[in-house]
This record gives sequence, C-alpha cells and structure tokens, in this order.
Amino acid sequence: MQLGEFEYLMLTAVARLGDGAYGVAIRQEIEDATGRPCSLGALYTTIDRLETKGLIRTSMGDPTPQRGGRPKRMVRITPKGTQAASEFYSAVMRVSRGVAWSTK
Amino acid sequence: MTRIGCWVVSHLTRLLDESEREIVRGDLAECQTPTGRALREVLGLVLRRQAAPWCAVEPWLALLTLVIPIGFLLSHASRSWAEGAADEILLYGRLWDFSYLANPGWRADLISVAARMAAAWLALIGWSWTSGFALARLSRPTVWLTVTMLCVVVVMATWGTNTIAHLHRHHGPSLQHHVTFAVFPRLLRMFLVVLPVVWGAWWGARCRALRVVPAVIGVLLLASVAVVASRGLENSMSFGRGVLPADKGPDGFVVSADDPRPLWFLSLVMMWPAAYILVEATRERGTRRASGA
Repeated sequence: MQLGEFEYLMLTAVARLGDGAYGVAIRQEIEDATGRPCSLGALYTTIDRLETKGLIRTSMGDPTPQRGGRPKRMVRITPKGTQAASEFYSAVMRVSRGVAWSTK
Repeated sequence: MTRIGCWVVSHLTRLLDESEREIVRGDLAECQTPTGRALREVLGLVLRRQAAPWCAVEPWLALLTLVIPIGFLLSHASRSWAEGAADEILLYGRLWDFSYLANPGWRADLISVAARMAAAWLALIGWSWTSGFALARLSRPTVWLTVTMLCVVVVMATWGTNTIAHLHRHHGPSLQHHVTFAVFPRLLRMFLVVLPVVWGAWWGARCRALRVVPAVIGVLLLASVAVVASRGLENSMSFGRGVLPADKGPDGFVVSADDPRPLWFLSLVMMWPAAYILVEATRERGTRRASGA
C-alpha cells in the first residue's frame, strides 16, 4: 500500500495515541512532531482517505462539556494500516542508510 | 471567538455534512480557536469538500456537455420567445376586438399564435426541467453548483446580443415599452427556465431514476413540442447572435417552408438530457429486474 508523508504521520499519531486518538489529539500530535501547523481540512480529508483505503476505522465518540456537548470522531488503526506504516518506515530507513543526516 | 466570528463560522460549517459539522464545531470549541484561524480552518475544509467531487469525470461532463451548450441555447431561446410573446401580446392588446373571433382568418391566426407560443413555452419548461434532472443524476454532490452555473449562463449568454427592444428603441423609453421588453422577458425566463431547472434538479437529487413508462411518455411529449418549437430555437440563435443572416430560400421570403435550416441540429442538442433520463430509466429497470430475478 502506497502512503504519503502526511498519511504516515497520521497513522503514527493514531498508533501512538491508541484509544485517545481523535481529531484534536491527532492534530496536536502531528503539530508537536513536525513543528508545522496542521489544518482541519488536511486532517479530515486525510482521515477520510485513510479510512477509504482501509488503514483506519473511525467511530463517533461521546460528547464532552469542553466541546460544547458535541461528539468526537475517534480513530483506530487497522492491521492493514499498521502494516502499511511499518513498510513506509522500513523504506525510509533503508533509503536513509549511510546518508549524512541519518548518522547524526 | 467573537460573537460575529462565531455566527460566521457556524453558518460556514452548514456547508459540511451534518455529522462532520458537529465534530468540527466541537474541535473548534475544545481548542478555543481564535476567530481568524477558525474561519481559515473551516473555509479550507469546506473548499476541500466542495472540490473533492470534481476529481471525478461526471461534474466535468455535466459542465461541458450540459451547462455550457444547453445554458447558451436556453438563454437565446427564452429571451427570443419572451420578446416575441411580448410583441404579440402588445399587438393583440392594442388591436383587440371580440368581433375578430367571428372572422375565420383572424381566428386561425390567433389559434396559430397561441399554439406556437404554448409549444415554445412548454418546450422551454421541458428542456429546463430535464436539464436540471440530468445535472442531478450526472453528479449529485455538485448539483447545486452546476445548477447555479447553468442559471448564470442562462442569464449572461445573451448579454450584448440583438434584442427586439433594441430594434424598437425609436419608440422611446415609455413605461409600457420597458415592462413589455425588459421586465416581461425576465419574468418569463425566471418562470419557464430557472424555476424548472431548480425543480428538476431537486427532483433528480431526491429520487432514484424515473420509471420507464413515465420517462417514455415525457420524452415523447417533449419531442413533439420540440418539433413545433425547433424553427423558433434556430431563429433565436440567428437573430440574437447575428451570425447567420436569414436565408430566404428559393421563394425569396424569409421564415417560409423552403428556407434552408443549417442549425437544424440544435433541437437534438436540447433533447440530450431527456435522452439521458430515458437511458438511465431503462438501465435502472434492467438492474431492478436483475436483482429481482
């Protein structure tokens, strides 16, 4: 399964957050990791795309008071998603072997 | 977020699906996003959602084969027929006398004018409705954008072309002249084109394909009024655009039976949404039978 850079970042964030993976948390995780802002548009269109590919599953979470009683969109990584992220990571590791920045 | 910002963001999120709308509003509330950023974020998401269906071929097919050509023809036909009708109504209104009805020649003329007008108006309604319906069936996610585009083309395509009002300008700027040649054609275009397009699109977006029998009957009825209205459609292009000066034909008179008709195919162009609806109805019946078998 072919993955883009942002798709990989999202799968990694979802895997790291586990049961607490939802829109705001994933976004925060990506922004902290990359130091770049992550827009709502990029976030939710990528979530849709990954779900279509079968790499994640989403469900509606419970509403909370700090969200004004509105629900969350909870995200979970699927076995297929784990495999795709793992393959992407291996490819990055292989292609980076021996280059100047990988030995820092 | 300021109260105005909150109001704008809340209205902007209405362009999203209902489930996504609540999630996005919840995310913004949880992060206490400032107004400016919230507006940018929601606008970005809305634009991405609206743009996504355009990655498919159907909306482009609708735009290139329906919105532009049919909008252009509907624009010319509706304006020309509305002005023609205004001219006839004005003439009959000025000269009207019930004694005319006793005269067979006048009576035949009146019936012929009324029949031509009715056929033209019915054809406009039919072509517009089928166009709206076909737009909805071709690409449901983009239907309201393509319908808006069609209405814009209908209004704008005759911009700067010849009009009867222009020919009658020596009559002076009277109120009657303005109502007859400016207000009436716009009203007619609204009721015979824009509203049927919206109605057809609404219908097409809500229901499944039409049943075969009503579709066949509808297409046959539309084809019969289109035959009567076809010459008027061709003349509307020749006159409005001024691209094809009237050819008198062997008898030396314009608008007579022997005039050549180089634009004869325009009626067929106008019938393609109806043909599409018919094909879809037939295909749907095949699918229903296959699933029932």
